[in-house]
Amino acid sequence: MGEKISLEELKKVAQLAKLQFEEGELMRFFQDVNEIVAHFEKLDQLDLRDVSPTSHISWSQPPVHADDPTEWKGEEKVFQHAPVVWNRYFVVPRVVEKEER
Amino acid sequence: MADFYVTIGLEVHCQLLTRTKMFCQCGTDYIGKAPNTLVCPVCMGIPGSLPVLNEKALELAIKTALAFRCEILPQVVFHRKNYFYPDLPKGYQISQYNFPVGVNGFVEFFTQGTKKRVRIKRVHVEEDAGKLIHEGLGLPPNSSGVDFNRCGIPLVEIVTEPDIHSPEEARDYLVMLRSMVRYIGASDGNMEEGSLRCDANVSVSPSPLELGTKVEVKNMNSFRSVFRALHYEIERQKRVLLEGGMVIQETRHWDEREGMTVSARGKEEAEDYRYFPDPDLLPVAIKPEDVEEIEKTLPELPLERRERFMTEYELTESEAGILTQEKDIADFFEACLREFRKPRLVCNWMLTEVLKNLNELNIDIMQSKITPGSLVELIKMVDKKEISGTIAKDILEEMFVSGGKVKEIMARKGISFITSEKELERIAREAIEKNPQSVADYLSGKEKALHFLIGQVMKMTRGQADPETVKSLLLKELSSGE
Ligand SMILES: [Zn+2]
Repeated sequence: MGEKISLEELKKVAQLAKLQFEEGELMRFFQDVNEIVAHFEKLDQLDLRDVSPTSHISWSQPPVHADDPTEWKGEEKVFQHAPVVWNRYFVVPRVVEKEER
Repeated sequence: MADFYVTIGLEVHCQLLTRTKMFCQCGTDYIGKAPNTLVCPVCMGIPGSLPVLNEKALELAIKTALAFRCEILPQVVFHRKNYFYPDLPKGYQISQYNFPVGVNGFVEFFTQGTKKRVRIKRVHVEEDAGKLIHEGLGLPPNSSGVDFNRCGIPLVEIVTEPDIHSPEEARDYLVMLRSMVRYIGASDGNMEEGSLRCDANVSVSPSPLELGTKVEVKNMNSFRSVFRALHYEIERQKRVLLEGGMVIQETRHWDEREGMTVSARGKEEAEDYRYFPDPDLLPVAIKPEDVEEIEKTLPELPLERRERFMTEYELTESEAGILTQEKDIADFFEACLREFRKPRLVCNWMLTEVLKNLNELNIDIMQSKITPGSLVELIKMVDKKEISGTIAKDILEEMFVSGGKVKEIMARKGISFITSEKELERIAREAIEKNPQSVADYLSGKEKALHFLIGQVMKMTRGQADPETVKSLLLKELSSGE
């Protein structure tokens, strides 16, 4: 079977998704992902020239909310689940690669 | 010295003036709030929460797109822009990709004396990220603090085509953009407070026929820093080319203190945001009748108003420009004219004394206590020579701080009227009679003696006369006495 997704591409996707795999796991995913992509090839046999891509299957207007603030009072619960909190800030390992926007 | 062709494109983000966030009902009034007080499961990215669109955010984005003369697309689709950063709790930002709110617009503005048009590529709406702090007493070492109060506030992004060719043009474009978003009530456009942010794409080429390598400049926090950063970056690229080098395509950060742009090294492998339509948000159909409704709410925009001020009130381009930059100032000016139709006179007072007082007090006209009625009352009194210009300036200062009508302030400060020129004439004659030596000196050609006489009249009127009027009255008296 010719591979559709190279090992390099798979490693890049894993890196972008911040996922780490053992070598064995990676090989297993490599095979799985290629099988899934191969399945899409079958779908490609359909003639879809006049069909626009579908990303959503509902055509109703989505719900919207009014511009009136409401207060949610559950932050304390979220703080309890955070590993480190300091002065109401969630504390994370320092990031320096990107400038503050 | 070779000629270089400079090409600049700007991407500006403005926080929209909604009361709630873009996909949840948390408040947006985050300045001065304790960290993580304006938050909920949606804007903190807690699994299972679902976004619901704020219709006001969409409306303001459409209004912005219309002001920038964009075509409004019939369907708005939200995409996920994926990247990892701690200020982005979901691991993606809800933004727009191939179906933004508006495309193919333009904006016109005056720059260096001529009218310029810049094409607008797109206007789209997206959510803001949270804020990080890296320093603080008690913050554990090598860590950062995350505050999600700002996270999820709606932003409108306005992207130009590469139609800007100098830092001056970039600055004038930004001034117009800020003025416009403020006019239409879409954003307060405050760059220092971060509600308006600007990134630039800059390239320099030895030929007008081909573009140079594009460098993205970020991290500019004021109009002045945009101007300086662009200037620096253009000179840097020219230098590289003159030395026979190649400009590298990269992102550079503006360092305000050093006054230079610095390569942002270690940039993640060529940004791969893996955009895809957000399955949690249905596309929104934009009905033409809704667009029409929104279009009706657009006020007269700054450039139209400026041009109208030039023809209707015979103001110069620069006078009209200053008066129309802020909607409140332009409204105030026109409110004055409704009571007193002397545009030249009111314009002079606005551009000098009114703006000076606002600057000194560092407030907007809406925050000051002055009203069009009280300014007009004051200008009329000066016009009729009931009070001198100097006295009027003092009264005006008082009006800015404590408000009130001219006559009330005069009573409070013990200033009396010089009711007529007749009265002044009498005082001038008296000064002449009391100072025969000065009169003789003046008549024998000593100019200084006239200044002495003017001083005497000013003293007798306790400074309430207009020195120019006094001078002409004295000259008249002196010549008739010859
Ligand atoms: Zn929220």
